[in-house]
Amino acid sequence: MTQVLTLDGVSKSFGGLKVIDGVSFEVPTGSRTALIGPNGAGKSTLFNLISGVYPIDQGRIHALGKDITLMSVPQRVRHGIARSFQNIRLMPHLSTLENVMLGEHHRSHPLQLMGSARATASARRALEDAGLDTFPGQVVADLPYGVQKRIEVVRALMAEPRILLLDEPAAGLNRTETKDLGRLLEGISAKGITLVVVEHDMPFVRHLCNHVVVLNFGCKIFEGTPDDVSRDPAVLEAYLGSAQAMEDSHVA
Amino acid sequence: MSGYLSSLLAMLSINVVIAYAVFMPASAGLLNLGVAGFVLLGAYTAGGLSSLYELPLAPALLAGALMSGLVAFIISFAILRTRGIYMVLATFAFAEVVAGVMLNIPALGGAAGLSVMAYAGLPVVVPCAVGTVIFVAWLMRTRFGLSVRALHDDESVAHLFGVHLRMTQVVAFTVGGAIGGLGGGLLVHQFNFIDVQSTGVLFSIYVLLYVLMGGTQTVWGPLFGALFFTLVPEALRKASELDPSLKFLEGGRYMVFGIAVVLLMMFRPQGVITRTMLEQWLPRRGARRQA
Amino acid sequence: MQLLQQIVNGLMLGGILAFVAVAFTLTIGMLNFLNFTIPALFMIAGMVTWALSSAGPHWLGLGWHWVPAAAVGIGAAVLASLLIERFTYRYMKTRFGDATEHALPLVSSLGFLIIFEHLAVSLWSSDPQRFELPFKITTLEIGGLMFGIPHLISLTLAIVLVAILKAVLERTRLGRALRGIAENPNASSLMGIEVQRIVPLVFVIAGALSAFAGILYAVSYGTVTPFMGDAIATDAIAGMVLGGLGNIWGAIAGGLLVGLVKVLAISTFGAEIEKIPVWGLLLLILIVKPTGLFGQTQLGKGKF
Repeated sequence: MTQVLTLDGVSKSFGGLKVIDGVSFEVPTGSRTALIGPNGAGKSTLFNLISGVYPIDQGRIHALGKDITLMSVPQRVRHGIARSFQNIRLMPHLSTLENVMLGEHHRSHPLQLMGSARATASARRALEDAGLDTFPGQVVADLPYGVQKRIEVVRALMAEPRILLLDEPAAGLNRTETKDLGRLLEGISAKGITLVVVEHDMPFVRHLCNHVVVLNFGCKIFEGTPDDVSRDPAVLEAYLGSAQAMEDSHVA
Repeated sequence: MSGYLSSLLAMLSINVVIAYAVFMPASAGLLNLGVAGFVLLGAYTAGGLSSLYELPLAPALLAGALMSGLVAFIISFAILRTRGIYMVLATFAFAEVVAGVMLNIPALGGAAGLSVMAYAGLPVVVPCAVGTVIFVAWLMRTRFGLSVRALHDDESVAHLFGVHLRMTQVVAFTVGGAIGGLGGGLLVHQFNFIDVQSTGVLFSIYVLLYVLMGGTQTVWGPLFGALFFTLVPEALRKASELDPSLKFLEGGRYMVFGIAVVLLMMFRPQGVITRTMLEQWLPRRGARRQA
Repeated sequence: MQLLQQIVNGLMLGGILAFVAVAFTLTIGMLNFLNFTIPALFMIAGMVTWALSSAGPHWLGLGWHWVPAAAVGIGAAVLASLLIERFTYRYMKTRFGDATEHALPLVSSLGFLIIFEHLAVSLWSSDPQRFELPFKITTLEIGGLMFGIPHLISLTLAIVLVAILKAVLERTRLGRALRGIAENPNASSLMGIEVQRIVPLVFVIAGALSAFAGILYAVSYGTVTPFMGDAIATDAIAGMVLGGLGNIWGAIAGGLLVGLVKVLAISTFGAEIEKIPVWGLLLLILIVKPTGLFGQTQLGKGKF
């Protein structure tokens, strides 16, 4: 399978507003794909469509050889797609360990009592691998933002996904934290997991990713390599167009 | 142990059990303003069996808990269809319906209440309270307990990772109901009497308040709440007995409880015992290499 | 004839319930806040009026004429209501940005309920106190049926007040501001509406409604106790839900319906049965049609 995730003519409207308009692209297996575009382009909405939070109006989504368009959210997680969130959605009152352990709950029966010991051990291992093992017992709400962001990634990893969707994982991180995150993600990619990352941090994207999809106003305007992106006229217009408007308003 | 102290301890134990009846659904994010319903079910079932059919205490208590749990299970499907304030009102309505039904069973005494002969003293009540705390503490540490607490924090993300919302809530509600039934059985056999009047709206309100006051983030919150609610008004009453100038404390001893609730909701709505607090107080084995 | 009298009795009780139901529904509709202190406000008015109007060793036993006593009673209840506004509702908003996102105001109001009820206990003891009016005739006979005068007054006042409230809400600037606040308090203040000054008005109205009901209750049943508000408030909540949360005409209808069902059930089956039809119906409505029999108004956030 060369494409692990395929979107085919996907459209979504909220009320009368068409937020995603006939978007099609393919994510190569094992790639590190970036999904970029100006604010409001629909990137997070697309993630919500892929992970199943919203149903799509038109089109189909294929992942890992199956049509997942009608699958429920937990079904998609079981199928192999896990994600992180733009604004961190960890359980604030649970500890690091407990949050991470939650990541693999889909694999057991909802009412299952036992298995905590095994889950705890594998959660500890995952945290160690990510270099986050200094705070297993701490309540996550008390931890620094950058740490929380990485814990969310580890939690998604616990679901043993083949595709990992990351929604602005570097947002709000300082340079060191961003470097740590980059290393973490490279390690994950090295294990064969396909990454799809929504990001605004261009240097981060250029450093990490080998495939780029650009959205603007709900449409795909480019798909290719990071080098080609910065040269594509449509992309430049999409970004610079808004930058120009900003400049104009400053002058006026 | 003096009679006064032993009855105080008995009251405390019963309050602890009933606290956990409210804690169970609360830990899954469900506010139960009708725990009196489960307490009445357990009390009348256990009391009825022990006085009318002369069942020994232990099976009677068990029957009370099971009956209450069964009703909780059945009603949970209906109640869990409601949300937010409607759910609070539904639990409230449920308790009133139970009270109404109990009032109309002449064999159980009707409005005059039910008197029972069998007595549950400290050797019964205290182990039940301790057992309840241990059970709930264990339950919250299992995978299921983690699901419950995850649900409380963030329903949609918990659902995403495979936590089954409805099933988890049903079980939490049912277990809470069963514990409430146990509390009711203990109550009727400790005081040898139960009636609908004294176990009504205010009763449910008090329990909910002291559980929320203790905090629903950890298993120890309700214990603290029960301790506060049982001991502080008593301490105030004793103080006013010893020092007549403090007479006003006697009438107002529950006022202190109300004031504590209001202040807590203003300054520390998570309750007195929070997870962060627990983390800071208890030594943690394992990786806490940071200061 | 017997049945007709029972129907009248039910409507009379319903008249008082309607008043309290409107207080509840107004607070929930306008502020998304289930105010459990309303039974205490009901009681404060009743007990203060009794205390002041009877001479005795108890606190405030000054033996006044009942009219100024009632005025002070109402004033005390309104003041208490404003206290709740300040420390429960407004505090929650300033501290947490949104009072409606949590059950906190509900819980806090429960705390105040305990405070007020036990304050009354410590001031006047928990014994029931007889409340006597200087005039004896409290019933009116029309066509062979007995109508309680206080109940009639209550019902009439409730209808008139709700008509006025509705008119204010729908036709005046203040009303529009109130409805804006009910929808979205933050947007409203961003548009220049003085939320901080208008919200207390809702609490004043709710407090006054509860107070009136409390005094009317005391006059018609002749007894006051620190816990007199509990049973009435419980039934009023039932009336509120039946009528639809936030629907003030619905609250009147709901209050009347509850009164009717109660009295008819008692007269048909005996006193013990009354809880079952009322609360069974309520539970059913909550599960099947939570918007009530008459549909609710738009609630702020649909949460607590």
